Amino acid sequence: MASIEPFNRLVRLAARAFYDDISMKGDNQPKTSRGDNRGMAVVVLDALTRRQWVREEDLAKALKLHSKQLRRILRFFEEEKLVTRDHRKESAKGAKAHNVAAAAVASDGPPVTKEGEEKIKMHTHSYCCLDYAQICDVVRYRIHRMKKKLKDELDSRNTIQHYICPSCNKRYSAFDALQLVSYTDEYFHCETCNGELVAESDKLASEEMGDGDDNVRKRRREKLKDMQQRIEEQLKPLVAQLERVKNLPAPEFGSLQTWERANIGAFAHGDPSVADSSRNSQGQYGTPMPYMGETKVEVEMLGDGVKEEGTESGKNGSELKVLPPWMIKDGMNLTKEQRGETSKASKLDEKSEAKDDKKQDSKDDQIIQEEYIKAYYEALRKKQEEEEAKRRMQQEGETIVSDSQSERQVGKKYKREDEDEGNATEQYKLADLNAEAQESGDDEDDYVWEEGSVE
Amino acid sequence: MFFHIVLERNMQLHPRHFGPHLRDKLVSKLIKDVEGTCSGRHGFVVAITGVEDIGKGLIREGTGYVTFPVKYQCVVFRPFKGEILEAVVTMVNKMGFFAEAGPVQIFVSNHLIPDDMEFQSGDVPNYTTSDGSVKIQKESEVRLKIIGTRVDATEIFCIGTIKDDFLGVISDPGAAV
Repeated sequence: MASIEPFNRLVRLAARAFYDDISMKGDNQPKTSRGDNRGMAVVVLDALTRRQWVREEDLAKALKLHSKQLRRILRFFEEEKLVTRDHRKESAKGAKAHNVAAAAVASDGPPVTKEGEEKIKMHTHSYCCLDYAQICDVVRYRIHRMKKKLKDELDSRNTIQHYICPSCNKRYSAFDALQLVSYTDEYFHCETCNGELVAESDKLASEEMGDGDDNVRKRRREKLKDMQQRIEEQLKPLVAQLERVKNLPAPEFGSLQTWERANIGAFAHGDPSVADSSRNSQGQYGTPMPYMGETKVEVEMLGDGVKEEGTESGKNGSELKVLPPWMIKDGMNLTKEQRGETSKASKLDEKSEAKDDKKQDSKDDQIIQEEYIKAYYEALRKKQEEEEAKRRMQQEGETIVSDSQSERQVGKKYKREDEDEGNATEQYKLADLNAEAQESGDDEDDYVWEEGSVE
Repeated sequence: MFFHIVLERNMQLHPRHFGPHLRDKLVSKLIKDVEGTCSGRHGFVVAITGVEDIGKGLIREGTGYVTFPVKYQCVVFRPFKGEILEAVVTMVNKMGFFAEAGPVQIFVSNHLIPDDMEFQSGDVPNYTTSDGSVKIQKESEVRLKIIGTRVDATEIFCIGTIKDDFLGVISDPGAAV
C-alpha cells in the first residue's frame, strides 16, 4: 500500500529547510512589523499536505489568511514547481461539485459547503494541490545545485583566471589573453612594461573577491567549506527522507477534473464509466486518501494516536532503523514492555528530529513515561517472583556465600542492565539471561540488594 | 549559437553603379561589407541568406552617393556563457591554449585544463596526460565549454574550460597521422 505520509513528511521537511524565511511581500507594500509573514509559506505547505485539491478560498479561510496573500504564496510555489494550480470559471453548482468531492475524501470531516459561496454565480475559482512527484524532483535538483555550486567554487572551477604584473602591479584577466600573448616565449607579457605576468593563484570566486589579499581568500575558502559542511548536516533528514521516498510511487491526484470525478463517482455525478476508470487509475495510490482531509481529522488522530506514534518512532529508532514508520503501522502488536522500553528511544528520536515531533507535547510524554514505569515494575515483579522461587530451591541445598566482591560485580552487572535499558534493546531478555547466569554462580544476595535499590 | 535573423543597414552606393544592375551591385556590396563582421549585439554575421527589402534611395547632396535602407536575412553566430563548442586549437603556451570556433577566439587558461594534463614545452608545445594518451597541441580539436564572454562593439572573445565531464580532445592530429 503506497502511503502518502512519507511524501508529506518530505514536503514538511523541505518547507522548513528552504521556505522558512521566505517573505511574501508585495513590492509596493510598506514593510511594517505587522506584515512580517515569514514562515507563512511553511504553514501553507503544511496545510496542503493535509489536503488534496482544495479551493484557494477555502484554504484561505481555513488558514485565516487573506486570499490575496495566499494567492501570492501559491503563485510563488507554483513557480517553484511544488504546487499545481488550476483555474476555472464555474457557477455555484460547479463549486458544489468540488465540495462534494472534497467531502467524499474527508468522509468523516464536516461538510465543506459554505452557504454564502453558493450564491456567487460564475466566478473564476482557483484550486491548488501538491504535486508530489515533481516535489521529489525539485527538492533533489535543488540540493544537487546547491552542492554543485559550492563544489565548483571550491575547486575554483568556472572562474576567470586573473594575471598580475609583478613589476607594475597591473592586473589583467583571461579576457585580455589575446593582447597579452607574446610570440617570443610562452608567457603573457604586460602591455605597459613588458614584464612577465604571473597568474593569481588559488583564486576563489574572483567576481566577488575584488582585490582581496590572501587572508580574505583563505577566509572565504573556509567559509565555503563550512557552508558545505552545514549543508550536509542540516539537510541530512531531508536527504534521508528523499532516499526513503525514492522507490515509492508518488501519490497522484491527477488533474482537478479527474480527481473530482474520481471522488464524486459514488455520488453518480457525471458519466459513471469515466468516473470508474479514473478511479481505477487512482486505486493503487488512492487508498489512504480518505484518512487525510480536513485539519480536524488530523487533530483527532493526534489526540489518541500519539502513544502509538511514539512507540512506532521509538521502535524505528532503535532496532528497525531502516524500516520506515509506514511499514509497521498495521502490525503494531506491541506488548506493554516494548512500549515502555521504547519510550526512551523515542525521546532520543525526538531530539534528533525535533522538527517533526513538535506535535508531541509533554502530556503525551508523561503518558508514555507512566506506561514505561508500569511495564518496568511489572517485569521486575515477575523477575522477583522467579528469583524467589529459585532462591528457595537453592537455599535448600546451599548456604549463602556473600562477599563484598560479588556485590561489586553485581553492581557492575546492574549498571550494564541499565545501559541496555537506555538502548532500548530487548532488556528483559537480557535480564533473564543474567538470571540464568547467576543460577550457577554464588551471589544470590545481590538480588536482595538490587531489589532494595530499585524499589 | 546560430541565429537566423533579419537585420537592417543603410548602404551607400556610388553613382557609377546606377543603371540596370543597381540592385545586384547593392546586394554584392552588402555581402562584401557585412559577411564576416561582428557586432556585439548580434554576434558574427556568417552569411546573408536573402534580401528582404530595399527601401527608397536618398541622394546625398554634394557627393552624389545614394543611401538605401536594406533589410536582409542573415545567419549570425553568437557564443554564450555555458555553451559547449567544438574548436580547433591555434596556439598552446604555458598559460593555456587558444582555440578557434569559426570566427570566435577562445582562451582556455591552464587552471581550466584538467589537473592531470601537464604542459610540455618543446618544438610542439602541448598539454599531455601523464600516460600520454591524451595530447592537446596545435590543430587538435577540442570540445570546450564557454564560461565567460567579453563582448565589445566589434569583437567577441571567450574564455573556455575543458575541466568538466565530456570535454577535452575529440580528435588528435598526431594520432590520426
